[in-house]
Amino acid sequence: MGDFLTLGHGSGGRLTNDLVRRITSVFPAPETPSAFEDCAYLPDGYAMTLDGFTVSPRVFPGGDIGKLSICGSVNDLAVRGVRPEWIAMGLILEEGIAEEEVIGYMRSAALVCKELGITLTCGDTKVVPHGAADGVFITTCATGRRETARNLGMHALRPGDHLILSRSYGRHGATIAAQRFDLDVPGLASDCAPLWEPARALLDIGGLRCMRDCTRGGTGTVLCEWAEGAGVGIEIREDDLPRDPDVLSVCDILGFDPLYLACEGCMIVAVSAEDADTVLSRLAQFAPCSGAADIGVVTEGHPGLVGMRTHIGGHRVVDMPVGEILPRIC
Amino acid sequence: MTHPPAPEAIIRALREYSPRSLNIMEVCGTHTVSAFRSGVRSVLPEGYRLISGPGCPVCVTSQGQIDGAVALADVPDAIVLTYGDMLRVPGSNGSLADARARGRDVRVVTSAMEAPDIALASPGRQVVFLAAGFETTAPATAAMLSEAAGRGLRNLSILCLHKRTPPAVRALLEDAALGIDALILPGHVCVILGHAPFLFISEQYERPCVIAGFSAESMLLGVLDLTIQRARGETALHSVYPDAVKSEGNRKATELMDRAFVPCDSVWRGLGKISSSGMRLAPSLKDFDAELRFGVSPGEPPEPRGCRCGDVLRGRITPPECPLFRTTCTPAAPVGPCMVSSEGTCGAYFRFYKGGTVAWEIS
Repeated sequence: MGDFLTLGHGSGGRLTNDLVRRITSVFPAPETPSAFEDCAYLPDGYAMTLDGFTVSPRVFPGGDIGKLSICGSVNDLAVRGVRPEWIAMGLILEEGIAEEEVIGYMRSAALVCKELGITLTCGDTKVVPHGAADGVFITTCATGRRETARNLGMHALRPGDHLILSRSYGRHGATIAAQRFDLDVPGLASDCAPLWEPARALLDIGGLRCMRDCTRGGTGTVLCEWAEGAGVGIEIREDDLPRDPDVLSVCDILGFDPLYLACEGCMIVAVSAEDADTVLSRLAQFAPCSGAADIGVVTEGHPGLVGMRTHIGGHRVVDMPVGEILPRIC
Repeated sequence: MTHPPAPEAIIRALREYSPRSLNIMEVCGTHTVSAFRSGVRSVLPEGYRLISGPGCPVCVTSQGQIDGAVALADVPDAIVLTYGDMLRVPGSNGSLADARARGRDVRVVTSAMEAPDIALASPGRQVVFLAAGFETTAPATAAMLSEAAGRGLRNLSILCLHKRTPPAVRALLEDAALGIDALILPGHVCVILGHAPFLFISEQYERPCVIAGFSAESMLLGVLDLTIQRARGETALHSVYPDAVKSEGNRKATELMDRAFVPCDSVWRGLGKISSSGMRLAPSLKDFDAELRFGVSPGEPPEPRGCRCGDVLRGRITPPECPLFRTTCTPAAPVGPCMVSSEGTCGAYFRFYKGGTVAWEIS
């Protein structure tokens, strides 16, 4: 794509991964590499993550950029067994935006912090000239302490492990797409929600391997990153995927594959076969995870490759998307 | 609405007929993607080969036309509106996505009907809609133009990239080297055109063909229909999409199209110039022609060296047989048109086909 970055580099698939590799290669490698995990484990049981939020529209069914900015970082900690405790927040605000709007987003953010007992510890606020940013950009850095001594990460994946998806997937991406392209889908709302409580409920399960929240790039991208990063094969069953008819209708219209649509309150849990039912029954206690389902397995065969058994009994490859996910012509 | 039989039943029936070899072209890119996403190829018994045809409007838009679109994006104060998957198609001087990265105002729309509102909201700027697609999107462009004319919008024009499906299918069938025994026709094009414009396939070229919807079940049913026709030695046009397709088509949509456009020769990427396969604005609408308004005339630069998209579009080779496939031509840096679109044959092969047979464990 030449020397310019395009939006494709920010869409969470292959191009993003390659760009991040080029960026991080400039720095010396850390002693405890956490490349392509959601958060980094630090010494003394601490952990840290950082995430930027530029969503447009800033208000959408199911949330707004304020709520999202906390949930996003919280979930990155949660899926590695870390209790979110402190948040640092950076705001980049475009001149001309109403203060009341900004404060509204902060109220949404504060609500999630209160629910989880998180303290806003420090922050930074910048106002930039009109046109230098699109309204409100938020960056949050979440820190906390691990509540499990185990290193939850894709390196722990073993052939035979089961994969549990915590709810129907693609809701956030479909909601934003519906808003951007003016599709009226009553009942469709973002799944934006903190996952700490459900994740925490799984930490004492002996067979727990790793968890990931399926944000940008969607469920399909997470599975591909796991298969490639851990050198294992993965197979999922289309008929067992908890699908949402509203998401599918948006996908039908725009030609999207829901596997690649972002989620903001949905995670994949990898667990040993014998503990899979325990994960399902624990997740069922949490409203956002009521649709959890066992969707597939880690395999010894075809390392690096994700496959899906389709509803007609065939097979297909699930590959990492490349570039911006674009609506098709017809 | 009637539901097709369960896929298992169709697959069982296909096994019973089990022809020695049946090469079927699915003309439309939406069928190509549906087949890959649902694993249709993997359930077809041995002997069947699904060949992806030229039915992805993005793929067949010529490089010259993309160059024209990029040139329009470079017009000072222009706003270019495009369907999404056109963004990444490479021209000689980069793609529309590259133009957007350079700061040009290129916006993705999902419907032609967004154009008049954007033009109205952008006085003093020129709004150009890239009117791409087959007979499925052309009626919407026609309706939009009639609205724009009614509202007297002077800052709106279109680059007409529309193409007509039947002449391209005819051009393929004229090719003696084409190894196609039967065709699956796009349900949505037939919703507009009806059966008549495709009858030549069975009548003149003696190939069985079937109009199918885009679900895996409908495609499988189409394959079964073609198999039975072949076993009985028939060549007819059938439809397994009868709920949606009326044999006379959608009269209102075709009338809109006929008023707005006149047929013209058109260059299809990979296939070359095909007589009467394009659409040009009718004389009464020539004020909306962006080529005339901005003096942009698409040339026809040579196609990239080594690219075999033309052979892929004709069904002569499968993408992995092209020397550029997966080496210099990838979705991140596409050389040929078939790699660009999510519906392009090469893009679909790249994403869903990993060379040889993978031994899947879940059966």
